[in-house]
Amino acid sequence: MKNIIEKILKIDRRLIFLALTILLVFPIVRPLGLPNKNIGNEVKALYEKIESLPAGSFIMLSLDYDPATRPELHPQAVAVVKHALRKDLRVMILTLNAGATGLIDEIGERIPKDIAPAKKYGTDYVILPYQPNPVAIMTQMGMDLYQIYDKDRDGAPLREMPVMKGIRNVKDMQLGMCITGTALLDYWVAYTGDKFKMPFAGGTTAVSQIGYAPYLQTGQLKGLIGGMKGAADYELLINAKEKGTAGLDALSLAHIMVIGLIVVANIMMFWLKYL
Amino acid sequence: MLNKRLNLTIFAVLFAASAVCAATPAPVKNVPPVPDLSGFQAKDMPYDKGEAVLLTWPVTPADVPGAVYQVYASAGKDWVKVDEFPAEKKLAADVELPFWAWDRHAALHVVQLELPGFFNDFKIGDEYRFKVKYVNGKTTAESPELPAAPKPNIFNLARLNNLLLLIVTTIVFFWTVSHAKRKGGLFIRRIAGLDAIDEAVGRATEMGRPIFYSTGIGAMSSVPTIASTSILAEVAKKVAEHDTQLKVPHFDPIVMTVSKEIVKQAYAEVNRLDSYRDDINFFVSQDQFSFAASVDGMIHREKPAACFFIGHFMAESLLLAEVGATTGAIQIAGTEQESQLPFFFTSCDYTLIGEELYAAGAYLSKEPMLQSTLKVQDFGKAFVMVSIVAGSALLLAGTWFKMDVLVTVVKHLFKAY
Amino acid sequence: MTLIKKHIPLAICFIVGILTLSSYYVPTQASEKYVETMNKWENIVAGFAFLLGLFSLFFSHTRKITRKADGWGYSLFVFVGFLAMVVPAIVSNGKQMVGADLTGLGWGYRFLFNALSGTMFSVLAFYIVSTAYRAFRIKSLQAGVLFAAALVLMLAKVPLGQMIWESLFGWTGGWDIAQIGQWLMDVPAVAGKRGIMMGLAIGGIVTALKIIFGIERQYMGKD
Repeated sequence: MKNIIEKILKIDRRLIFLALTILLVFPIVRPLGLPNKNIGNEVKALYEKIESLPAGSFIMLSLDYDPATRPELHPQAVAVVKHALRKDLRVMILTLNAGATGLIDEIGERIPKDIAPAKKYGTDYVILPYQPNPVAIMTQMGMDLYQIYDKDRDGAPLREMPVMKGIRNVKDMQLGMCITGTALLDYWVAYTGDKFKMPFAGGTTAVSQIGYAPYLQTGQLKGLIGGMKGAADYELLINAKEKGTAGLDALSLAHIMVIGLIVVANIMMFWLKYL
Repeated sequence: MLNKRLNLTIFAVLFAASAVCAATPAPVKNVPPVPDLSGFQAKDMPYDKGEAVLLTWPVTPADVPGAVYQVYASAGKDWVKVDEFPAEKKLAADVELPFWAWDRHAALHVVQLELPGFFNDFKIGDEYRFKVKYVNGKTTAESPELPAAPKPNIFNLARLNNLLLLIVTTIVFFWTVSHAKRKGGLFIRRIAGLDAIDEAVGRATEMGRPIFYSTGIGAMSSVPTIASTSILAEVAKKVAEHDTQLKVPHFDPIVMTVSKEIVKQAYAEVNRLDSYRDDINFFVSQDQFSFAASVDGMIHREKPAACFFIGHFMAESLLLAEVGATTGAIQIAGTEQESQLPFFFTSCDYTLIGEELYAAGAYLSKEPMLQSTLKVQDFGKAFVMVSIVAGSALLLAGTWFKMDVLVTVVKHLFKAY
Repeated sequence: MTLIKKHIPLAICFIVGILTLSSYYVPTQASEKYVETMNKWENIVAGFAFLLGLFSLFFSHTRKITRKADGWGYSLFVFVGFLAMVVPAIVSNGKQMVGADLTGLGWGYRFLFNALSGTMFSVLAFYIVSTAYRAFRIKSLQAGVLFAAALVLMLAKVPLGQMIWESLFGWTGGWDIAQIGQWLMDVPAVAGKRGIMMGLAIGGIVTALKIIFGIERQYMGKD
């Protein structure tokens, strides 16, 4: 018996990987359709903040994630863009991460197709090119954004666009949001949100979400979407279920598997001690 | 006689008739009061860089629901409406400035106007004219037109609390540094991760396998990266003494450049410049997962005896640490990202938490000057702890005894403006 | 030589540090222009440093290939990967899309970079599971408390976990698992995070003061 328990405790990692693969693939092939009942308070807060903005308000959306964190963060970005355009808000999308440019292009492709077909580029939304040196950009955005962004990603002059009317720096904007898998949200809050008193919100990976709870409590962040669950919550609120909701089944099974493995390992450990 | 009586009678009748037939006065209607806007003032906005003006006028009984104030500005020719708001809004109490820079109790309407947003050809120092108009249905009132020119201010008084704290910290800093060499060494509690460096280097020398040192994915301006380079200097010295192989893959080219200098200096200090090679430090990639994949591959192939992961790490922390664990290397990690600490804890032998990273330079070098600066950190932490306790007690007392002034003072003192 | 190698860099560090610190308290346009200039210079230095890094990368891999060191075949892929992305980028002038069509760069980004990056990040999921199984053993009371908190949070975050909790404990009419999880996130976790944040912030301030006043001189090599 002891041998068996020891073998279980030292099981080859590859068997665990295989079990996890099966558990993750299964709900993709055959969705379970688990209901998403509990929506996080911080996600609700962001939703209500955007809902409270009058038509014509300006949102700055900094999408600073790369393809690695796409499954968690891209659904958040799509959901927020959908919500903002549906509320007739003006949206400015930019990135401080070179790896995000292609993902932003995808969103740019989708807006006229299915996200908001009635919206016009240059009048309702604009996409800015990638710029390096994040801290410099954040500081400059609080003073005069045209010093760094004089053209959009296609080279058209930015200042003349109807969407930018009345906007000179972040103080003229009604909300800023950064969706990132890095620590850039901390920098946005410190260098832009706090310094220029700009209302700010965030979207992060699930593992980083807890780190931003202090900012939520002090009001430095008006709302936060955390991970794929957060994206699913937001999709539920705007009534547009997409990839965030689709991934919840796999997430659920993976969580249960981790719990099961830990419990089994500890039971085996105590049993071995007893023997 | 009869005529007199007749005249008197006619007069009396006429008098009585006039009294009866006199028109009754019309009832008095409620006329909204008209505010007195003669107290309107326009001046430069204090504590800013010179793009805003401050418009103030006294609160009046005419500030009733339904009434609005309209603010106008002119660069010389036409008037531009720059603001409109309900008459009971925009008061002195709404201005977000601390008590030492602003009187929140003044009974004033306050409008802070950023002029570049309204005038494309705005220049600091140019004079503009301002007026305010009160509108409540058909009742209107207008203030006199006043000129004001925005000017830059030398000092942002709102940040005085921050400046005082900085000055006190700097004084304590210099005091501890000046006392560095007087005392016979400062006690620093044992940090297991740093004590294990000797063990790690010794193990690598015995096994003839390399040591991998990663400074993380932070830029050179990031404090954990700076702390990591201090530790790298000490590790490089020990590696040079033992003639072990050291490999330092880099995420950031600037960090690589600085680390090259540090490692070369470390080798020079122990007179082992002959063993130094320029490719000890090499650039890998500025993409997070490309960096992780490359380093994982190197660790997997070269099977180092020791791995150091010290600096700013994000999601790649577990990728690096887990691969290192599978090769059987002794692993020492440290990061300021507490979300990554659990991953390092489970995969590494020793983990430095938060501030232990910043104390490492002093701990390893045992330089009195560096050690003494740890006292400043302790002072800072003591100050924070006392502030939390005292501030909470004062806020509680202020709320309990309804002392709004005390609550305001405490809140403003601990806020960053 | 000491003047150039030691005193001048220290003086530059001190002056720039003090000026940048002062710009926070002095709200003039000169202050703003100074910060803008520093930001531009930082951009320029970062650009040149990247070139430096690139040369270092090519040099070290070329050496490996010419010496046929262990794993030299992998070094070839560095050049293949570099050319595979840079050449299409130059041809398409940095654009990923031309109208509705993907350029070579766009194709490489969408079907190579996306897939490879996603794969690397997803490996984390497998490592987390295997590490949790290997290392999460309840050997003390603290580990037990940690496990209990982790269990509650893991159940609270996913619909299946919430359903399991409801079916096991729903009859008690007690707190919903999501509420317990939210409390754990909002109170004890934030308290710990705040403590660490404050310590790190103070450590950061002291490190910055050490660099400005020339006590920490690792970055320029000691004398």
